[in-house]
Amino acid sequence: MIEPSVYGNRCSACGKVSYPAHHVCPECGEGAFEPVELAGEGTVLTYTDVYALPLDYAQRYLRLGMVELDLGVRATGQLLDENPEIGKRVKVTIGVVRQSSDKKIYGLQFVPV
Amino acid sequence: MSTGNELEALLRPPATEMPPYPPKVITLASGEQMVVRQIEREEVPTLLEAIAPLLWVERDFYDIVAARLFAELLAFKRYRVLDEYCLVGLIDGVLAGIVNGRVASPDVGMSYHTLTLRRGLRVGAHLFAAKMEYHVEYLGEKEVLIVAESPIGFRRWMIEYPLEKKFEIQHELGGVPSWVLTRETYLAAKPRLVAGRRPVSPELLETARKILLPEEETLTVQILGERGRTT
Amino acid sequence: MRQVAIAGCGMTKFGRSDVNLVELMCESSVGALRHADLGERRVDAVYVANMGAARINKQTAIASALVDRLSLFPAMAESVENGPASGASAFKNGFLAVASGMADVVLVTGAEKMRAVNNLEATDFVASLTHPEAEYIYGVTLPSLAGMFTRLYMKQFGVTAEHLAMVAIKNQENALKNPFAHIQQRITIEGILHAPEAVVNNPFVADPLRLYDCCPVSDGAASLVLCELDLAREFCPAPIRVAGIGQATDTHAVHERPDPTQLTAVHLAAEKAFSISGLSPKEIDVVELHDAFTILEIAESEAAGFFPKGEGHLALEQGTTSLDGALPINPSGGLKGRGHPVGATGVAQLVELTWQLRGEADARQVKNAKSGFACNFGGFGNNVITTVLVREDR
Repeated sequence: MIEPSVYGNRCSACGKVSYPAHHVCPECGEGAFEPVELAGEGTVLTYTDVYALPLDYAQRYLRLGMVELDLGVRATGQLLDENPEIGKRVKVTIGVVRQSSDKKIYGLQFVPV
Repeated sequence: MSTGNELEALLRPPATEMPPYPPKVITLASGEQMVVRQIEREEVPTLLEAIAPLLWVERDFYDIVAARLFAELLAFKRYRVLDEYCLVGLIDGVLAGIVNGRVASPDVGMSYHTLTLRRGLRVGAHLFAAKMEYHVEYLGEKEVLIVAESPIGFRRWMIEYPLEKKFEIQHELGGVPSWVLTRETYLAAKPRLVAGRRPVSPELLETARKILLPEEETLTVQILGERGRTT
Repeated sequence: MRQVAIAGCGMTKFGRSDVNLVELMCESSVGALRHADLGERRVDAVYVANMGAARINKQTAIASALVDRLSLFPAMAESVENGPASGASAFKNGFLAVASGMADVVLVTGAEKMRAVNNLEATDFVASLTHPEAEYIYGVTLPSLAGMFTRLYMKQFGVTAEHLAMVAIKNQENALKNPFAHIQQRITIEGILHAPEAVVNNPFVADPLRLYDCCPVSDGAASLVLCELDLAREFCPAPIRVAGIGQATDTHAVHERPDPTQLTAVHLAAEKAFSISGLSPKEIDVVELHDAFTILEIAESEAAGFFPKGEGHLALEQGTTSLDGALPINPSGGLKGRGHPVGATGVAQLVELTWQLRGEADARQVKNAKSGFACNFGGFGNNVITTVLVREDR
């Protein structure tokens, strides 16, 4: 069973890690990359509880967050934390973030460290 | 005469003591004060006059809600339904919305309809919550069965309270089986969803004593949009 | 490049429409053409701004449809799609057609019929502009991006819920003076924030943003007639010169921006527009900003250069941006009050500025308005177009 993961890109020329993927490195303009798994810990930059949700979601609200990961990129994902705070330490997990009819979509979920 | 009374008694439900709904006042987003109070049977004709024009408005399910509400209120007035109630929202005495339902059993309430005449100020949300408040806090019921005509509006209540499925029971309005709001869920949701202050001052109650009909032009703009569209 | 002027404008009343998309476009187009009073002069090119026709209204190639309905053949025509900045994008393309000499008279019409679908569908449609893998799959919607932005802004600059409410109250109040505005309803700070009932009246949509911090979903269309300035002087009593246009882009995924409270694209686009026009923010008399969310009016007013970073809410507090203040922002009611038919908004902002600069804004007229600025904000700030307009005879 292959665990799903989310990947950023490390530029083979200048080493800058970017997420999401770009075809051209935003730092140096080169176009060769190696995948970098988005994992490990980070700090919550900001978050929100969204109430007006699209049809795929039947819950009352969804907690989303933007996190500054220690590995050098930021990411947006679902924040699974009862007491969210700007500056709080969290770590990356992968889970089902959206379900449309039969398809499960996996993505980033942040949990308190 | 007595034969007439006997015949009438065949069809008239037994009179039960329903605790009255104590009026409350709600400040709306516009700063206007809406009084929410229960109606007497004598006030039904006024409500029917307000509802009648909506019988032909297809948009947003107004026609089916208006038709059913009209029938329910008429049945209430003519003593042909057991334990029905009706609450109205009044802004400066002008009718802003109507909700109704009945006591199906001492423990179970049956929510009927919610009709909003003044749109854009969450009048419907306030009145629906007032209905639930009546069932749980004043009629002492354990759960309220709910069904709706509009799927979008219903989905919002389903998620907001939230409602639970109680599909073993068919709702009186027919259609699909019931969803239910339990006493526990209501009480947990109350701080978020139920608003209003009591008691209402005598001055304010006086403005709400007689139900005034919205102006036809206002109704047209509110419900039908600018050009009087019906679909 | 030739000088370009707006010779006429028009719009439908935004809100809930009972006609289809093409009908809406015809209505505002005919209004603008009538206002321009072109006489024998022909429209050479038509630019249509629209975001959702293919998805929501199941119709494509709508610019060609509009040419047909207005019997403008054989005019050149195309649709321009740039998310919520479609309006200003279509206008920019129309401007370039005249400025380059490729066309002499251009009709620009922005339109959207959003209420052809329910709110859930409309929310999802707008969310389709977010990054598919890095944002959309998480349930990110435009309000959620605005909510996260607002939380940071509040923490860093001391913007409060009261400030946001002030924007909503001001804009809905202005909208009451605008017969074309969607929302015709006064709101009070008591009703939306301070009363205990406010929790029901004004619930959170994407905290800290509430219901009244978000613009409504609207149908509507707006149109402009552009032509070469000297040509406009022949027949137009008050040509409004396009003094400068600026556009800039930013990262798609909002989290990739170096400073998440900085609206870089607004800043760069405004800088460009001001530079071309030869004017500075201080010389602008009236402003139309893209307040899809109340926080954006505050943030854009800073990024565009009207107030220092972090001080937009102070200007709001002081009444500077009210209709009778030193720098009125959104006299039309903005997106909050006027409504937001996505493709129409960028054009509607320019229609309002045209009316203001021509002295035709009735009850919401800003006195002695000679120059105006508009900001049309696409995506969540990753594609922004700003415009400076100047009344020509002053």
